[in-house]
Amino acid sequence: MSLKKTRFWRFFSSIRLAIWLFVIIAGMALIGTLIPQNQEPAFYAERYGRYGHEFLARTGLSGVYSAWWFILSLILFSLNLAVCLCNRFSLKARSLGSTLSHLSVLVIMMGALVGTLYGQKGFIKISEGEEISSFMSLRGHIINLGFSIKLDDFIYTEHIDPKESLSIYSAQKDADCCDQHAPGETCDEEGAPGAGKNHGPIARIPMKIGEEFDIAATGQKIEILRYVPDFVMDDSTKQASTRSAMPNNPAIEVELKGGEGKGHKFWVFARFPNAHGEVDKDLKFIYNWAGRRPEDFISKVTVFKDGGAVMKKDIRVNGPLKFGGFAFFQSSYDSESLKWSGLQVVRDPGVPVVYAGFILLISGLMTIFYVNPLMKRR
Amino acid sequence: MSSIYLNISFAAYFLALVLYAIGLFFASRKVSGLARSFLICGIIGLSIYIGTRWYTAARPPFSNMFESLVTFSWAIASVSLFVDLKYKIKSVSVLVTLMALLALGYASLLDKGIEPLLPALKSNWLTIHVITCFIGYAALTVAFVSSLVLICKKKESAVLDDISYKMISFGFLFLTLGIISGAVWANSAWGTYWSWDPKETWSLITWFIYATYLHTRLRKGWKGKKAAWLSVAGFLAMLFTYFGVNYLLSGLHSYA
Repeated sequence: MSLKKTRFWRFFSSIRLAIWLFVIIAGMALIGTLIPQNQEPAFYAERYGRYGHEFLARTGLSGVYSAWWFILSLILFSLNLAVCLCNRFSLKARSLGSTLSHLSVLVIMMGALVGTLYGQKGFIKISEGEEISSFMSLRGHIINLGFSIKLDDFIYTEHIDPKESLSIYSAQKDADCCDQHAPGETCDEEGAPGAGKNHGPIARIPMKIGEEFDIAATGQKIEILRYVPDFVMDDSTKQASTRSAMPNNPAIEVELKGGEGKGHKFWVFARFPNAHGEVDKDLKFIYNWAGRRPEDFISKVTVFKDGGAVMKKDIRVNGPLKFGGFAFFQSSYDSESLKWSGLQVVRDPGVPVVYAGFILLISGLMTIFYVNPLMKRR
Repeated sequence: MSSIYLNISFAAYFLALVLYAIGLFFASRKVSGLARSFLICGIIGLSIYIGTRWYTAARPPFSNMFESLVTFSWAIASVSLFVDLKYKIKSVSVLVTLMALLALGYASLLDKGIEPLLPALKSNWLTIHVITCFIGYAALTVAFVSSLVLICKKKESAVLDDISYKMISFGFLFLTLGIISGAVWANSAWGTYWSWDPKETWSLITWFIYATYLHTRLRKGWKGKKAAWLSVAGFLAMLFTYFGVNYLLSGLHSYA
């Protein structure tokens, strides 16, 4: 009995099975989007209770896309595809599109399998100045790179909104503008409570660190010395620094210089507009913090091989370092002190296969929908 | 940035909608011709708006819900114009114009401010990914409308069925291109072409529903209302991929 006449073959060559598998796989995938996937056990226990957590863990619902029943449905799907392809395979131009598009899905799945079996993926946390030559894969193996990379510097930059500035008010006029505002809110002159048109600032200094500006009304000069996103002061040394890179308490250090150039340094807080105390009895300072957005995360690295530096590279989001079969992606960073960078390390030999599948899929669909009807018309 | 072109398009879409609706009751070539001209005005207005926004922001204007809705509205109107010229089915033109108007109306409720691009979006793939996705979404929206009209009609209609099928073929191709461009981009930004993120997963669910439509049609001969219901289901999944995932689920794809 030939293979093509067996029940196995007939079962897997049916279009009904294909349609059912579409529905089943889509349904399983859907469930996976409703239940948060691959979280810590404590998360599930808190959210679904002890029994709920146990149920999810046993059934695989907390990790749908790696659960045996999901993988099984993908295997059935591939078998279905492969059998259909064998059955209907012909070199006739008419079925070229169909053959290509179905073959492409198999190729993509093969590529994914190659990646799962032979690929390596891991995460490295690398500090400034540190050199790394191996990493721990997600499966817990130590992988040697065969070279090493050193993080020379990690740079985080932010977009500064043009609205971010330091407003200087005359103290005789009521200027406790931001008092009523919730943390995170900023004020503008017009919107300041109790401050009408006459109560506008006497000067507005743009957020430019290290540049001196004149306060025309008083003849003094002012300079913003530095910015910290999360102000903290060491009790013993009285040194100001930042607790993290998160804007929990944005503050700027400002130097006010009198006519004779005598400097007076103090801090102005976005969230606590009255906290700067009395610097100058005639003046009041408001730091208009406008919310900053990340601009760039850059890991400046050097690659060393056989004892010598072979390459320098700025790894950024959308700009990985590729070397020796591995790719390094900017993935996370030290939000407290910007001292380390988190890099995703990937070696995936399946990617070219998957991409070949992508190209086949697109050409197959174009052939079915557009080339075939054109040929028929002739 | 001035939003005058946005308002012009809004007005033009609205007038097109009214005229198409009038055309339902009066068989007048002039009315539907005028409706079409307004639709074209709307498309031109949005093209200028997108162009100037691109120029002002010095980056592709496809980075948040507002910008994507404008793109969506532009794409719906463009596909609609094509279908109107080719098939001249008034009820479809009315409803599709309404969809374009709704997308633009929703956009106008959102913050129009130009924010700098997040690092993850700084890539040439942004334009390719968004354009392919929204051309696909627009075609699938038109397919949904013609399927809906078909379902509401007492008799089967071969033309409506044909519009649905043509639009789904085209939309499916672009949905595929959108998913693939997203996968290639994800691989170059994060080192993984597929991570079962809710947005990815829902786009795959949508893809599967339309794959079902195509297989039942081409291999089992499903047509007419039976097929139209699948088109409606696919559209609902598409809507969830676009809006639902952002508002109801959390994931990597938090832009739009």
